[in-house]
Amino acid sequence: MTDRIVHMFDIVARQGHGSVWTVLFTGFVFGAVILYSRLDKFEKMAGFMLFEDTLVPRMAMTTVALSSLGFYILVQTGYASYSVKPVLLAGLITGAILFGIGLVILGKCPSAFFVSVSEGRIDALVGVLGGMVGGAVFTLFYPQIKNFMGPDLGKVQIFHYFEDHALLVVVIFSTILLITAYLLPTIEYKDPADFKKN
Amino acid sequence: MPRQIPWWVGGIAMSLLFYFSFSTFGANRPIGASTGMAYLATVLFGLDADSYAYTAEIEQSGAWEGVMLIGLFFGGLFMSIFVTKSFHLSLIPTLWKERKNRSVKSRMLWSFIAGFLLVFGARLAGGCNAGHILSGGSQLALSGVIFAVFALGTGVITGRFFYKKKVCKNDR
Repeated sequence: MTDRIVHMFDIVARQGHGSVWTVLFTGFVFGAVILYSRLDKFEKMAGFMLFEDTLVPRMAMTTVALSSLGFYILVQTGYASYSVKPVLLAGLITGAILFGIGLVILGKCPSAFFVSVSEGRIDALVGVLGGMVGGAVFTLFYPQIKNFMGPDLGKVQIFHYFEDHALLVVVIFSTILLITAYLLPTIEYKDPADFKKN
Repeated sequence: MPRQIPWWVGGIAMSLLFYFSFSTFGANRPIGASTGMAYLATVLFGLDADSYAYTAEIEQSGAWEGVMLIGLFFGGLFMSIFVTKSFHLSLIPTLWKERKNRSVKSRMLWSFIAGFLLVFGARLAGGCNAGHILSGGSQLALSGVIFAVFALGTGVITGRFFYKKKVCKNDR
């Protein structure tokens, strides 16, 4: 296993998507922002789907709104390129449904459960273990699963349908998200466990 | 230091990080997490790229996300120890106690099943909420929109059946 871990760092060092330190730094900041906004908490993620907390949708909408505009500018000025995931329809829909069930029961997503573990949450650690087994089972049965993932509708971006007005579409999309995030009511689940003396 | 930042500060901070990662100044790629999870699983269970097609397929982006997840863990640890000071061992979340039960065994069993579904589902869909909703949505990707609708819709429906109705707040 040690060989594989060394190999993992080796791949990253050679692939040209930032140095190993850049990638570790990106992860560090990502984890810090998730924890500081408390996105890792069960009460925030599951609470969102139980209508007991609105932090997650408001923060996610703000992020997507600002990022979509920024990404567009970065791509247009040549400082980035789009990397869009394809629509493999059956896999995408089935996967999203299983993911949604897991998300509301565990109350964390695949990045937040690591952050949750770093806060000392044992149930999140068990979730990570379940995730590891899930990843391994998928890898084992991938040759069979692959046959049912299609049809492949390609790497479509919404503004492809409005080619001459791409910027306008991005601005409208971003504005709608920002306004929605602002107008959503503040519902906050105050977890008594957070206010105990440490 | 405050123990939590408001949603809009979190949103701005997150998008600044996304600009960095997405642009040529940073990693020149969007952020994702579930490929990294699947990759770490292949490392843990010794499913190497020579014998398993999927490991070979995800090796490049999986390794990147695997290293990113290591950084993420330490980012969370640093904040929970030094800034929010919220680090403590805990077994069951408060809201779960309120809406489901107080049994440690039940929470652990469901956590395991849910973790399995999360990563298996994310791999089937080709990404999780970081890759599909945040990074995908930011690129106005159709896949991201479809994923968000089905994942969140299912989450809300499952939540209604899985958890009990809200009881009196004084029970906390």
